[in-house]
Parts: sequence; C-alpha cells; structure tokens
Amino acid sequence: MSLPRRRSRILQTTRKIGELIMTYFSKVSDAKSKGKPVAWVTVFTPVELLYALDIYPVAPEHFGALCSARGFIVDYLEEAERCGYSESLCSYSRCSLGYVLSGMNGIMPPPDILITFRNSCDVYVKWWQSLHMHLGTPLFVGETPYVLAPEDLDNYVLDYVVKQLEQLIEMAEERFGLRFDMEKLVEVLKLSDKASELWFETLKLRRFRPCPLGGRDSASDIFPLVVMQGTEEAVSFYEELLREVKGRIGRKEGVIEDEKFRLLFDGIWIWHAFDLIKYFEDKGAVFVYEPYSEAWAYRLDASEPLESIARKILSMGLNVDIDIRIERFLENIKQYQIDGAVFFSNRSCKTWSATQLVTADILNKKVNVPYLLFEADMADPRQYSEAQIKNRIDAFIEVLSES
Amino acid sequence: MYLGIDAGASATKALIVDRKGKVVSYAIVPSGINFKVSSQKALEKVLKSSGLSLKEICYAVSTGYGRALVKAEAHSSEIICVSRGIHKLLPSVRTIIDVGGQDSKAIRIDEYGRVLNFAMNDKCAAGTGRFLEVMSNLIGKSINELSRLHHKSSKPIRISSTCTVFAESEVISHISQGSKIEDVIAGLHQAIAGRIFNMSSRIGFEKDVAFTGGVAKNEGFVAALSKKTGLTPLLPEEPQTVCALGAALAAIRKYEESISHAHL
Repeated sequence: MSLPRRRSRILQTTRKIGELIMTYFSKVSDAKSKGKPVAWVTVFTPVELLYALDIYPVAPEHFGALCSARGFIVDYLEEAERCGYSESLCSYSRCSLGYVLSGMNGIMPPPDILITFRNSCDVYVKWWQSLHMHLGTPLFVGETPYVLAPEDLDNYVLDYVVKQLEQLIEMAEERFGLRFDMEKLVEVLKLSDKASELWFETLKLRRFRPCPLGGRDSASDIFPLVVMQGTEEAVSFYEELLREVKGRIGRKEGVIEDEKFRLLFDGIWIWHAFDLIKYFEDKGAVFVYEPYSEAWAYRLDASEPLESIARKILSMGLNVDIDIRIERFLENIKQYQIDGAVFFSNRSCKTWSATQLVTADILNKKVNVPYLLFEADMADPRQYSEAQIKNRIDAFIEVLSES
Repeated sequence: MYLGIDAGASATKALIVDRKGKVVSYAIVPSGINFKVSSQKALEKVLKSSGLSLKEICYAVSTGYGRALVKAEAHSSEIICVSRGIHKLLPSVRTIIDVGGQDSKAIRIDEYGRVLNFAMNDKCAAGTGRFLEVMSNLIGKSINELSRLHHKSSKPIRISSTCTVFAESEVISHISQGSKIEDVIAGLHQAIAGRIFNMSSRIGFEKDVAFTGGVAKNEGFVAALSKKTGLTPLLPEEPQTVCALGAALAAIRKYEESISHAHL
C-alpha cells in the first residue's frame, strides 16, 4: 500500500529560469568578446554598482549551484582536490577553483576583475585570493564589520563601507577606463528596488492556504536577484511571477492538491538532490518559508545611492546577530502558519549551519515546532546519503501527522 | 494475528502479536545484503516457532531500512514503531535511546506514546552498532564477549577520534602498546556512549528513559551509557524487537481501519 501520488505543480514562470540563465551567460560572453569587463563576484556583492559601471557580473557560487544541479560538478571538485584544495573546503569554492585549474571551458567567461565583500562568509577572502593567485586578475576585497542590528548601524560603519565602494569605483575607472555616472546608478537602483519589492510581495503570498509557490519555485526564482539585480529583465521576470501567483490564489490553487503540512526550510538548497523537495511534496508537505529566499532581496533608497548599497551589504542575514535571526523565525512561523521546520546542516557552509541547533531548540521550546535536522552538502553529491536522509524525512512526516 | 517486520541494517526481526497486542512469537535473523531474502527467512522462522500459517496473518507492517523491499501491506518509520513498541511494554517511558546497526536515535514521546521530537546520528557510523561490529572484528572478540569483558576493565582507554576508521587505527596502536583488551573494550563503549549522549542531549532526557535496539543487549555499552547519562534506564526484555513490536501493533490499527473503511 502506498500513498497516492500527488501532482506537484511548478509555476510556468519558474520553468523559464533555465532559459533566462543561459541567455544571461551568453550575454555576458558577448559583452566580454566586445571588450567589456567581466567581474567574478561573491553573492551579496553590490552588482548594481557594476551595472552602473558597465561591468558584467557573474557569481561562481551560482555557477557551483548550476554545475551541481546539472550533474557535472564532481570533475571540477576533483580537479581542485588534486591540486591540493581540501575536501573540507566549501564545495562552491572547490568548484570554481577546479574550473579555473582545468582551463575554464564552460559557460562562465574568465574574469577581468575579482570582487568580494566579506559580509556573509569568511572563506570569501581566501577563496578570492586563491583565484587571484591562479588568474593574476585584479582583486578587490571589501571588509564589512559584523552588525548586531541593522537599525543600529552607526555612521562610522556605514562611512567605512561607503568609502570602500568609492575605492571600488575608482579602481574600476582606472583599470578599465570607465566613467562612473551617478545618474545611471540611480536608475539601476530603482530597478533593483523594484525587483526586490516584487519578490517580497510574491513571497508574502505564500501565507495563503494552499501555498501557491513551493520550494522548487523559490529555489529557482531567486536567480535574477543574484546577479541581475538592477536590470529590466529581472523586473519583468518578477512582474510575471507575481501575476501568475496571484492567478493561482484567485483560483485557490496550491503547489500540491492536498496541503497537509506547511514547512520552513533553513539553509541553502541541496542542488544535486533537488528532487528532495518533491519527495516532501509527494507526502503532502510544502515549503512555505525559507530565510534563504528572503536573503536576496533588499529595499534600496535611490536618494542615497551609496549609503543604501552599503546598508544592503551590511544587513545581509549572516552578518547580523543570531537573536535577530531567531526573532525573524518566530515571527514568520506565525505569519506563514508553519507546522514544522527542516534544518539542512551544510558541510560547506558553517557560517549558516553553526547556529542551527540552538535555533531549532529555541523554536521547539518556544512555539513547539517539531524539527528535522540532517547533514549533507549543498553542491557535493559525494557527501550525501540519500537513503538515510529519506528515512529521516519519512519519520519526520509521521511525527507531523501525529501532532 | 498481526505481523511486524523490522528490516534493520544489521538484523531483520519478525514479530507476531494477537488481536490484543500480546506477543505470540518473534524471530531474529541477520539481514545480509538482501532484505527480501532475510525478511522471508525471518517470516518462515517466526511462523514455525508460533505454529501459525501465513493465512492466519491478517495484516503486516514493515519498518527499518529495508522496509520498502519487504512484502507487507504497509510500512512505517522506525521512529514511530520504536515509540509505539516501547509505550506498549513500558508506558512510563518518555525518552527512548535506540541504538541499531546503522542508526542511533533519541526519541521523546508523550504519555500516549506519540512522538514529540527526535534526533538521529549524522550519516557517519560512529555511535552505532556498526562501530562496535567493526571493532569486535578488529580485536577478534564476539559482541557477546565485548559485554562480558567490559566489566573486567579497571582503566578504560580513551578513544579520541570520532571517526570509525580513525578509531580503528587508534585501537590498533593501543593494543600494540600493550593495553589490556578489556580496557580497549571499555574505552570503545565509553566512546560510543559519549557520542550518543551528545546527540540525545539535544532533545533532553525526560524520565523514564529506555534503551532499545540491538546494541542495548550489550551490557558493557548499557553500563557506559548509564554512567555517562547518570540515569538508570529501563530495559525491555528483548530490546532488539521493540521496533518490530511497534510495527505489529501498527498492523492491528491499520487492519481495523481498513475494516471500518470497508463498512462505510
């Protein structure tokens, strides 16, 4: 006897993401062949500033996720390991280093500049220095002090980051003979803010029952916010997405037909085992909220361009105090009517995973939300045990059915 | 009659209960690599010992790693089955520490036997029965001997590695340096108990606490875990079949549900 299979419905707009990604990469390659500079950036680097300077950003982290999802990451990982990079290093970093060391014969064009801000991860600095060592490309490392609360951001810290943004502009102007145009930046910021506004609005609609947008949607739909923040394409994508989600709500149509459990997912998605989300859905459980999906959007104030960008960099979720993060969890558990929490403890991302046990414990005690915690790697399929994880999911779903 | 089959990573257990949930008979066989074969063997053995025929089994529920491969009307996870099983045997239990061949788990249940929360070992084998199997092969002592020799130890060695493979070389080096075998064994039990203690602390130890799973039959391990947790655990008579019992009890419930559906 097995459960009847439920039809899972990925949004039509989400289905366009693959094409959007390929178009994006070919656009960057075109720009590169026309002599425009390409930047390799860590995510949560202000790509708006780069667009205003006519520099094209690509994110090796996104490339790592893509390689993992499409099933060809292991070659890159092994190349990096053969060259001496430890298996315990972040798999995104090993992927891009392996890509560089094996000659960069893929969709990601070689960089003309390497840019990182240390806001979400300490590995960034050494990783970007290693890329710099192998490629010899100019390197910009931005430092972001840890903030306890974004609203307490004092002027000193803000000025410090604004200064660095000015240095980045200066460096780009000098290296590439570009001219920075503040008016253009303002335009880009408005587009970026619009895309964020639309995404936030869309995410809020997941509070409806049945939830109209699931984990497979939210995991894919963030792409335009990662490297296309400030483009027209990103805005039209989120407009279309919002329209479609509203349509579903109007028709009372959910991701799954019989929504039994509404779940929270904490962590980066497991790109090589993306079907796990479907595994939950087949059991009547839908993901309705993820801090990861929210992390990509930020409302910018175009009247204070550089300060606003600096605020965005500093307020990144992993750069703020854990108490603030827990408060957000508690609030959203209520808002999204969450029945259970899934914590993916990521071998690659200790910055994200380190606080999960204490968070899970507090959620369980304060609001009595059952949780599941399992370990794997977001991009490295060799550090993943499918049978064991599915076994835990089965047990977790049974626990939810009992409560 | 109702059947529960627990196809575990190390052993397959089959257990039959009557309509009231009373255990009629059970059988334990090694799982080997083929759950279909091992579950068939366990079934034949339990039928033989109970003198029942397959026709007399109204409903079967499978659980454990190989549950999907076992012929049964339904399957259920070990977490739920262990909880149901222990609640039937020892209703005062609120925390279960179950150590099996490939998994160790800590489960909190309420007064009705419903699962409140659980924690499991990560994918590594340290802290499971497999760890002890690897070590017993290495030192050439059977699992039963481990239990007996544990109590002779006066100075357990300290295993610092959390990895089974590294711990293996640590044990080799201790033995080659002349450590007594009983001290090595006690050290291994302490190491696994320490790991399980850490995992279980995440969900807390509300009393009463029971130890279940195949490894709970190892007295040395039970002593080490009791010492580490500072608890006097309740032990079911046959810790290895608690999960199969839970599955058999689930079979009664599911059978009754299917009957009542049929009458609707």
